[in-house]
Amino acid sequence: MPMKNKVLVVEDEKSISNFIVAILNANNYDVVTARTGQEAYSLITSCCPDVVILDLGLPDMDGMDVLKAVRKWSILPIIVVSARTNERDKVEALDLGADDYITKPFGTAELLARIRMALRHTRTSGANRDVAQNGRFSAGELTIDYEKYRVFVAGKDVGLTQNEFKIVSLLGKYAGKVLTYDFIIREIWGPNTNGDNQILRVNMANIRRKIEEKPAEPKYIFTEVGVGYRMIEGE
Amino acid sequence: MKQQRVRGKDGLIRISWKDSLITIGFLAAATVACLLMHGEGKTGSHAPLVFVLAILLISRFTNSYFYGMFSSVVAVIEVNYIFTYPYFNLNFTLSGYPLTFLVMFSVSIVVSMLTTQIKQQEKIRTEIEKEQMRANLLRAVSHDIRTPLTSIVGAVSAVAENHDKLSEEKTLSLLGDVKEEAQWLVRVVENLLLVTRIDADSAKVSKEPEPVEEILAEAVAKFKKRFPGAPIKTEMPEDVLFVPMDAMLIEQVLCNLLENAILHGGVVSEIHLNVRKDGESAVFSVADDGVGIAAEILPRILSESIYRENSENIDGKRNMGIGLTVCQSIIKAHGGIIKAYNRKEGGAVFEFSLPIKEG
Repeated sequence: MPMKNKVLVVEDEKSISNFIVAILNANNYDVVTARTGQEAYSLITSCCPDVVILDLGLPDMDGMDVLKAVRKWSILPIIVVSARTNERDKVEALDLGADDYITKPFGTAELLARIRMALRHTRTSGANRDVAQNGRFSAGELTIDYEKYRVFVAGKDVGLTQNEFKIVSLLGKYAGKVLTYDFIIREIWGPNTNGDNQILRVNMANIRRKIEEKPAEPKYIFTEVGVGYRMIEGE
Repeated sequence: MKQQRVRGKDGLIRISWKDSLITIGFLAAATVACLLMHGEGKTGSHAPLVFVLAILLISRFTNSYFYGMFSSVVAVIEVNYIFTYPYFNLNFTLSGYPLTFLVMFSVSIVVSMLTTQIKQQEKIRTEIEKEQMRANLLRAVSHDIRTPLTSIVGAVSAVAENHDKLSEEKTLSLLGDVKEEAQWLVRVVENLLLVTRIDADSAKVSKEPEPVEEILAEAVAKFKKRFPGAPIKTEMPEDVLFVPMDAMLIEQVLCNLLENAILHGGVVSEIHLNVRKDGESAVFSVADDGVGIAAEILPRILSESIYRENSENIDGKRNMGIGLTVCQSIIKAHGGIIKAYNRKEGGAVFEFSLPIKEG
């Protein structure tokens, strides 16, 4: 029998944690639950879950504080659950090291997909495995060749500029994950760039025109409005 | 009297530089006018009338009782002192004059009170209107929430209390309804939450330049999640178009409009989502080829929730609900215009424009 993955669900609303547990049990996960930040922290240290699903509104402390505390010593995948529609919270959680976020209310399929993706990323320790092994990333007709610094769509070189290639290759390295504007800007233009993300948006608009057939219905690079960009998962 | 004292706090005693200047200005103008007429040898009988006019104007353009009253007293004294024989002498004992002054004094006071009252009534009326709008929205919301809640509670208790009698198929269909209704509720709440992003006092939003294509892409993606296989086509300018907006809000507007096209369009075989640049504004339009909008509701479709007045639709919660009302207030807060019309070929178009220049 294959080893079950262990999921820690940190959620103070009983009805919500009930249904999450039911879904996860039905899909072959071991589940541990915590209702407060304190409890969550001690469970993370004592029973080594594979993934943590962390609600941000906890009775004893802000979920962000749990996230901060754990990130000091662990890269354990954490998916933040938030009822807040405010994109600033999402950005803050991602910048503090959350692997993904999911907004209440969410469906079963969405939750399971996020967990599967988070687990895949642990196995490949953050960056994409294909990229590390073959020096290339591909999804659909898109191929990023990391050795030649070229991006191909349907076998044709799309002719990205240097910065454009840097952005695409970064997204490819973390395919499936949302990268915040700030993160991308820091990686491409260095830590001392001012906070303006217009230059990134313009670059992205150009990239989209080169690799997407229809910029308004993208197939490869998706926008999370107010948060950042995400590359489709590779094959 | 009692009323006056109550209003006294904000009506009677508030004094400002601007109002004081207005008062002095009108009184001075009245005095000059009377002096000129007096100089031309006309009798002093015009003076009281000129001053009553000045008091009327003062009451109209100042914000408190005080200035009207004060000017009344000043006017009576001035007319007596300057423009009535014996000139430059206060004399209330001349036969007939006390009555003239008394009448003038009371006319001035009544006029100033009346104008102040009219202004206050206007204020009250706009307040009532605001209150009514709020009440309308609340009523629409509670209707939008109550109907799905009723069917959720009904379906769930049917399943919970009769689980041994219901066939599995029936149970699943009831639960399917529950899911559907709950998702509707989620959207109602999302709409409401978003409206709170509009600043209540200034009715403005915080804008940032956003590339149009990203907003379109995200709205379409969200929409397709709910209606996979929806026949949607997008079109936009070749060049990158940055438009200042609150991205979340505009995305919600597009989602609402797309949803409306599917839910109320009847048989829709194609939805066109277009953006074009038109001078200084970006024009977004959602057009379908469905049944179009009924002529009798077309003029009001954006401003009011329709179903409450339309008795045959009273239970049709899938009528426009608060969606379009929300769209309207979002676009207005952006300084844009939203309109709805029917296409000649059939189908409805919802179109809104946003200014491209910041500000």
